[in-house]
Amino acid sequence: MKRIRQISVFIENRPGRLLEVLNLLGSSSINIKALSLADSSDFGIARLIVKGTDEAVALLKSNNFTLSVTNTIACVVEDKPGSLAQILKLLADNEINIEYMYGFTSPIENKAVMILKVSDIDKAQKLLSDNKIEMLSQEEMREI
Amino acid sequence: MIYDEELETMPREALEALQLKRLQNTVERVYNLVPFYKNKFDEISVKPEDIKTLDDLKRLPFTLKEDLRDNYPFGLFTIPLEQVVRLHASSGTTGKPTVVGYSKRDIELWSNLMARSFAAAGVTRGDIIQNAYGYGLFTGGLGAHYGGEKLGATVIPISGGNTQKQIMIMQDFGSTVFTATPSYALYLAESAHDMCVTQDKIKLKVGILGAEPWTEEMREAIEEKLGIDAIDIYGLSEIMGPGVAIECKEAKHGLHIWEDAFIPEIVDPDTGEVLKDGEEGELVITTITKDALPLIRYRTHDITHIIKEPCICGRTHKRIARIKGRSDDMLIIRGVNIFPSQIESLLIDIEGIEPHYQLIVDRVNNLDVLEVKVEVSEKVFSDEIRKLQSLQKKIEKDIKDLYGINVKVTLSEPKSLTRFEGKAKRVIDKRKM
Repeated sequence: MKRIRQISVFIENRPGRLLEVLNLLGSSSINIKALSLADSSDFGIARLIVKGTDEAVALLKSNNFTLSVTNTIACVVEDKPGSLAQILKLLADNEINIEYMYGFTSPIENKAVMILKVSDIDKAQKLLSDNKIEMLSQEEMREI
Repeated sequence: MIYDEELETMPREALEALQLKRLQNTVERVYNLVPFYKNKFDEISVKPEDIKTLDDLKRLPFTLKEDLRDNYPFGLFTIPLEQVVRLHASSGTTGKPTVVGYSKRDIELWSNLMARSFAAAGVTRGDIIQNAYGYGLFTGGLGAHYGGEKLGATVIPISGGNTQKQIMIMQDFGSTVFTATPSYALYLAESAHDMCVTQDKIKLKVGILGAEPWTEEMREAIEEKLGIDAIDIYGLSEIMGPGVAIECKEAKHGLHIWEDAFIPEIVDPDTGEVLKDGEEGELVITTITKDALPLIRYRTHDITHIIKEPCICGRTHKRIARIKGRSDDMLIIRGVNIFPSQIESLLIDIEGIEPHYQLIVDRVNNLDVLEVKVEVSEKVFSDEIRKLQSLQKKIEKDIKDLYGINVKVTLSEPKSLTRFEGKAKRVIDKRKM
């Protein structure tokens, strides 16, 4: 199963707080492959995919951050109109809910990578691989 | 106007003789009827007959809010429940409220004292009282209501909140008296201004304001904005409710405490030692006319001093100075009393919430706002915003349901809330009093 471990960190809404997370990771040479921020009026959640998840988790915990590790799917999407819609339609037709998603352009030529957190990861993964949607493993993610 | 000339202007000597007689009667009654008092008196070997002068009062033990809690709900009542015609409740120090009961005679007495208080503030028959104190378990609404009716005034039982409607009714019904918390009066004044309701459109002449500490500056602001006399009133549900003490319109300096019903003492909050008139300390009240729930030397935790000089209004009853603050950690938010320990016991019951919290009180647009900061542990942390938001909503709802107060819950990072010498600083009060 190709799963990507994502670290979600609770962050209070105050200036410089995200910077502290990034500095912490940077000082230990932990590379961030993807980052997304979700926020409400008074707090936020930083979602990170890093090279060296366990090390990052230990580091953040020792600095009193509240965090969780969540399994997500990384889909490789053709960089052309309608390709993401096709994935979403597959999931919708099979009643799989997307809790959140975010994307980034990758060094893979003409491809983007979408990180998805879905309501039923096993079902989603099977569905996507049955439909020949390319997914990345943690190792592949590290290498891109 | 003096409502009860005979009692309110009674010469000190006669008043004190009346107090002694009533005190002796009360002490004897609680000793014989309430095991709690009998045990406490026996412990220090004091008998009711030892009370020979008013000065002997200080030989009696204090009664605390915790005693009401320990005897929850009706353990301190001196009469059987079938003679109790009304129950009210206020915040306890933990989850359970403090319950107070009234006999028919107690209600009559309370109405009289409240009518007397209204009269001292210049209210007469023919006045229209817009009563914006909350009706319900809180004593404010019904206490003021019965007093207003007793006086023969017209009472509008509008209760609190709904400011636009308050202002409409105030204009249309021609309300002359407004009863509320001072912060709400100020809020209403500013809302009226925003609605272009000028002083000539309302007939208000006096505000009877209490249930929370306020300042001379607030009084000036309210008087100027509404064109009224703003009168300070004092009361607490354990003792009776509103109408324990009130300023007279003539002096507006210190609140006459109705000494034919209550004996005030000022004690050192730490040692319990009785202080002289004029010295600042904690107000302790003994009720001497109450039927259902007499209280001996009840610790109010309100900080004040006694003004001993006779008042220009002719009333002989002593005055207490405007309440300066509290000797415990109770917060008064929009007239609602709340203890940090209440919030704590509620948070502990919520799975995964750390018992680390901080209460931040502020006054925004003249209304008190309470922010409850709680630390998020890994147990409740979710990587989905909506789950965390529903946790916030749940805590807000629980506090609202249990204590009737709207708060804003803010989630904080673990160990982010300030701790001092191992003990967290629980309350930050930013209100400028």
